[in-house]
Parts: sequence; structure tokens; C-alpha cells
Amino acid sequence: MSPGPLIGSGNKKGKKGVGSGEWGVGVRNLLSPPHSPLSIPYSLLTFLLFLLPLTPQRILRLEAAEAKRNAAEGEQKLPLIYWTEGIETAESLKRAGIEQIAAPADKAEVWRKAGFKVVAVSRAEFERREKLLTPRITGRADVASATRRPWVDANGWRFVRNPAGKFYYDLPQGKAAMAIAEAFTYKADAILKIDQADLTEAGAMFAFIKNLTGENYPPIADIGVIDDKSPETGEVINLLTRRNLLFKIVEAPEPQFRVNIKLGSKEYPKAEADNPSEFAQKIRQRLGDDNRSLRVYGTETVICRLTGDGARARLHLLNYSGREADGLRLRLRGNYGRVDARAFGLSRVEPEDLVNDETATEFSVSGIGIYTVIDLSR
Amino acid sequence: MKRRTFVQLLAATPLASTTRAEESEGIPKYKVVTPYKRAALPGMPGPYPGKVVSVKSAKCLSEDGLKIDGEVVREMMERGMRALTGDAKTIDSWRRFFTPEDVVGIKVNAGGRPWVVSSHEVVAETIRNLMAVGVKAQQIYIYERFQGQLDQVNYAPRAPEGVNIFAAERANTRNDNQNYDPRVYVEADFFGEDDTRSNMIRLVSEKLTKIINIPNMKDHGATGATGCLKNIAYGSFSNVARTHYKGVSHTLSFVGTLAVVEPLRSKTVLQIMDGLRGVWHGGPFAPTLKYVFFPRTIMFGTDPVAIDRLLLDIIDDERKRRGAISIWNRDEKTLDFNNGGDRDKDPNVNIIIREPGHVEYAGNLGLGVHDKREIEVKEIEV
Repeated sequence: MSPGPLIGSGNKKGKKGVGSGEWGVGVRNLLSPPHSPLSIPYSLLTFLLFLLPLTPQRILRLEAAEAKRNAAEGEQKLPLIYWTEGIETAESLKRAGIEQIAAPADKAEVWRKAGFKVVAVSRAEFERREKLLTPRITGRADVASATRRPWVDANGWRFVRNPAGKFYYDLPQGKAAMAIAEAFTYKADAILKIDQADLTEAGAMFAFIKNLTGENYPPIADIGVIDDKSPETGEVINLLTRRNLLFKIVEAPEPQFRVNIKLGSKEYPKAEADNPSEFAQKIRQRLGDDNRSLRVYGTETVICRLTGDGARARLHLLNYSGREADGLRLRLRGNYGRVDARAFGLSRVEPEDLVNDETATEFSVSGIGIYTVIDLSR
Repeated sequence: MKRRTFVQLLAATPLASTTRAEESEGIPKYKVVTPYKRAALPGMPGPYPGKVVSVKSAKCLSEDGLKIDGEVVREMMERGMRALTGDAKTIDSWRRFFTPEDVVGIKVNAGGRPWVVSSHEVVAETIRNLMAVGVKAQQIYIYERFQGQLDQVNYAPRAPEGVNIFAAERANTRNDNQNYDPRVYVEADFFGEDDTRSNMIRLVSEKLTKIINIPNMKDHGATGATGCLKNIAYGSFSNVARTHYKGVSHTLSFVGTLAVVEPLRSKTVLQIMDGLRGVWHGGPFAPTLKYVFFPRTIMFGTDPVAIDRLLLDIIDDERKRRGAISIWNRDEKTLDFNNGGDRDKDPNVNIIIREPGHVEYAGNLGLGVHDKREIEVKEIEV
């Protein structure tokens, strides 16, 4: 087990108005009353700009102004809904408890005036963002055999690989809450285009994640991966994530890891990665299941993220199946006496059949939906 | 190490605590975890190792095989049980196995619905005898792994009021685990699957005191045939379909390895193989009558290995009679592992190399007598 950070923590101390950059910490300015970093009030600036014809130069100026404003409002780190609808939909957002959105730059001010906290995202900026997959199961999720494991479209590996990246989801109905949970789990800078019908559930998910007390532990990893940024290494990282094989992106092999992977090395030839599934299995065998910081039993469709500082740990469970999971069994290395689980839609969940042995803690959780957070302490 | 030596070593290893078998000759490494200890006389092979009573009746089914005669089944069961124990009265035979205090599970097989399942008549007669011993209806559980299958077979109309009908999971979707015991499991990595544990049903480990196993006579694409051993083993644990994949099957060792886990081994005290109908190809399923045959037989015993050893021949003989390849055929040319459709059309197509050797393997684990020369078969015609 490694307490070392897996990804850049987002710690921007010293950066004006950002705080630590961790969830719930760096949002102060997003929640504070709007103010302008410019010498004239925003409302006047907007008014003046709208007097001008919409030339490309004007658009560029508008974008620049919004970029400054966004920077002043703090680096956008919480997942945000990218809301392109008109101001007449404000009531539905408020009813869902959503007070903070990302909006097209030309609509940002109107939303601000309606009392929303807004991060303006120009079309150009939106398009520069990396598009994410809809988090879900594809293929035959109803096939029972574990060896015909369902295909999970998950984005965690992209976030881990590119912690400074900017992403967006374009989601079909029914997937907003899952995507919010996924982005939150990995502390990703992601905005989400969602179906209007999902507003209530999205609002509920925002309320759930806001109620999670702050956590700033480094990710726990068992494997070091030297990322050459190739698609092949990307696929390996994807499968490690998919199989809950906890890894850290490293510059060079780190001795605390039993397994360090550099694709193209003698130990891990590139040709082997032609079959990423078998390659991931080889890594798993080299590590040994007994040496894994986390094991998940009773599902093939839950992807976890584990962070911890030695005395405490937080485990995020993202359930991509679209179905409630019952009797999930979790095994974590380390002896934790207290286990506190909260599941989206259920509030607290009582962990069952808790067992501590010399090396590990095991327990079951039942009735969990798309997202569960488990806090452990010694 | 030869396989026989290996399994003998495994059989000699106490399973009441965590054990680890060595990987050998393609046998996966198993870690068996259970806090339960073996009974002084475990139910399998029980008091009658190597003894099988086979009761046959031409009258138990209508001529076309579609209807079961409950009265004939009753007589077959009474004579079978008396012949097994040597008692003059049927009630005394049942009293050898059960007391009024017992909580009894009836492990049915609903997978071969609609044609080859533990029949209502055999199950009803089993319950009638348990209640005659004094076991209350509320202490009787008909159980199977999947609710969907149980719903289709629908035992409720023939079960007395109060009898419990229990499924561990809603369907075969791997989402329901709360009815499995996290303290009792076998761990093995067969094909790199993420979930490497198979857990025992809690009802079995925590509530039942005795189990009656009522399998059918069925062909099985992975095990060759499925009878007592596979019904009780794969039917009492989670996450078992993972043992066969892309033509390869680890059922050879896993069936017995599961069946021997305590407390399943000790609690399973009676085997009643419902062979009124059987399926000679395409099993364990029997959605149509295409491969259904009619042995019109019920077998009784406490030794699952002995009964299954006879079953292997019954299925293989029927296949030979129909011109189909043997369950022992390991020719890879017969293999079309991606095509269940072709297998269903053609009895000379395998989707997995079958492992009928699982019966011998289980015998070597101490679950019963495999050598036919040592099996005593008492045949009765009703």
C-alpha cells in the first residue's frame, strides 16, 4: 500500500482565491457574491458589449472577459451542469436545488442576475474540452458469467491520467447523477450537458456530495505506471481502473510498489498490450491478489477509488450496472475498526458482517445504488 | 504430482479452517474458508456409501411422458426408501434421517424447466413424509438459487401451507449477494475474473439442519452429466458459472470442492434423484422436448458419487443410442464454443470439453464411492 499521491492533488495554495483546490475548500469564491475583477461593473460591461454588433472580434473580447471572470471566481473543480436553456428554466433548476451552473458565455450574465453562480464556458472552450463517455454498462449486462464480464464505459482512468484536464459529458436521460458522482470521485474538472428530465436527480446528487465531509487523503496505489501517453498505455490504465487494480502514475519505477509498469520495457513488451485484458491479468498475477489494497466481491460492475492516510481511508464505489447491488463484499488491507457508509438515495448504510484479521478489514454493504462513499478509520 | 495423489492429499486436509491446495495439472488453486466443522458422520456419503436403490415404473408417466402419476410416484418413493434403509415401514426409513426438530431444506432443480425439473410429485411426497415424521411445514424450505426459475416451476400449489419457498437471487444477474454467507466461501481464479469467491447460501449455512437433494437425470455441456453433486454444489453457492469459458471447464475439480465444504457436506443427508424424465443433450436446460427422454426411474441413496456414477452411464448410453458423441469425447473438432445455437441443433457439437471426471474427483475427496465394482445397486420395478 502506498500513501503517495496518485494524481496531482489540485493543491493550488498561493493561487489567488482558490484555496487548497480540494472539494469544499476551493469553492469559497464560487459561493461569494459576484464581483468584478475589472475596473467597471460587469453589468455595465455587458450592457456596453451588447450595444456592439456581434463581430468575431467582439466575441473574442467577450470570451476574454469571461475567462478573467471565471478565473476570479475560482478554478472550477466541482462538476457543473452545462445549462444552455433559457432563463425561463430557472425555476426548474431552483426546484432541483441547483444554484451553480456552467453556461454559454453569452448567457452567463443573465443567469447571474437570476441569482445563480455561473461559470461561463464559451463554445470554443467547450469544444476544447475532452468528451467523456456516458458512464454505463454496454453489451450484455444480463449475462451471468463473470468471465463474460460486462463492458463498462467508465472515465476514471482519463481523469487519473490527466488530472489537469478539462472534460465534458454529453449525457442521455438517466445518466446525470452517475456522471456527477464519477467526476466528483476523481476530482475532475468536468461539465455536464444533461437531459432536463434529470434535473431533480442531478440536484439530489449535488446535495449528496456537498454533505460529504471534506477529505484530502492521497489515493492509495499498489502499482506504479510510467505513462508514455500512448494509446496502448491508456488502454492498460483503463483496464487497471476497470478491475480495481490501484495504480499511481509515476515518472520512474518506485520501490514501494511490487509492480512497476513501463510499456515497451523487457518485462512489459508493447506487443503484450495488444491484448490489454490479458496484459492487465498479467499485472494482477504479478501483484498477487493477497497483496492488493482493495478487493471487491459480488459484482463486476462497481469501480472503486480508494484514498487514505494510513489511519483513515475513503472508498468511493461507482456502480455502473444501473441496478441496485446487494451484499457487495469489500476487503481492504489494514485494520479499520470503524466503517461508515453513505449511499446516494439511501443516506446511511449499515456495513454488515465486519471482520478484521491481522492484515485486512472485510465487510458487506447492501442495497447500494449508483454511488456510495465509505469512510474508514482505525 | 498426479491428480489422484493431489486429491487424496486434499481430502486429508481439514476444511474447517482456511486451507490452500496446490495448483497441479490444471487444477486451480483453491482457498476454502468456513468456520464449520464436519459432523461425526457427514451426510455425504452418509450411512450408505456405495449403495443405490433404483426404482423404475413404466406407469409413473403417461405414455407420451407428459403427465406424472402421483400415486405411482408415492409407491416408488415408499419402496425406494424402505429398500435403502431396510425398514419395514416407510416412516421408519424417514425417521432414520429426520427428527421433528429439524429444519429441512429441499434442494430442487428448476433449471431444466419446464420438462426436466424436480417434479411436483416427488417434492410433494418428500414433504408429506417429512411432515409425517413431525417436521412442521414452517420448518421446510424448498430452495434454489434463482427466483425466476422457481417462479416458472411454481411449487406453491402442491406444497402444504406454511412450507417456505426460497431463492437466493432474483435472477442470474450477479447483483444479489445478501443471501450468501460471507464467512463461507471457496476462492479461486479460473479465468482472470474479478470476483474470485463463491459463497454458500446463508440458508444452508445458518438455518437448515438437514438437506434433501432432489436432482434430475441431465446431460450437461460442462460436466458431462449433472446429478446429485452438481445440483447440491453449484446450487448452494454463488458465482459458479465462471468455471466454464471458451471451451474450457474447471468443473472437474470445482464441483467436488464445493460439495465437500462444511456445513453443506454434513447437512446433506439424503439423495433422491428424480429420473422420471431426463435430458440427453443440451442440458442442463430442457426448454423443449427435443432431447428429453424418459428413464421413469427414481434413485435413492446417501452417496451422491455412487448415484452420479450410474447417471454418467445412463446419459452416455442414451446419447449412444441416439447416435450422439459420448460425454467422454474430448476431441476438439467437436467444439464450437461460441455457438450454443449449433449445440442445440446438433448433438454432435460441444460448447465445452465436458468433464464427467468430476464424479471420480468428488469420490476421491471422500464424498462417495466411484468405482462401479464397489457400488451396490438394488433395482426395483413398480
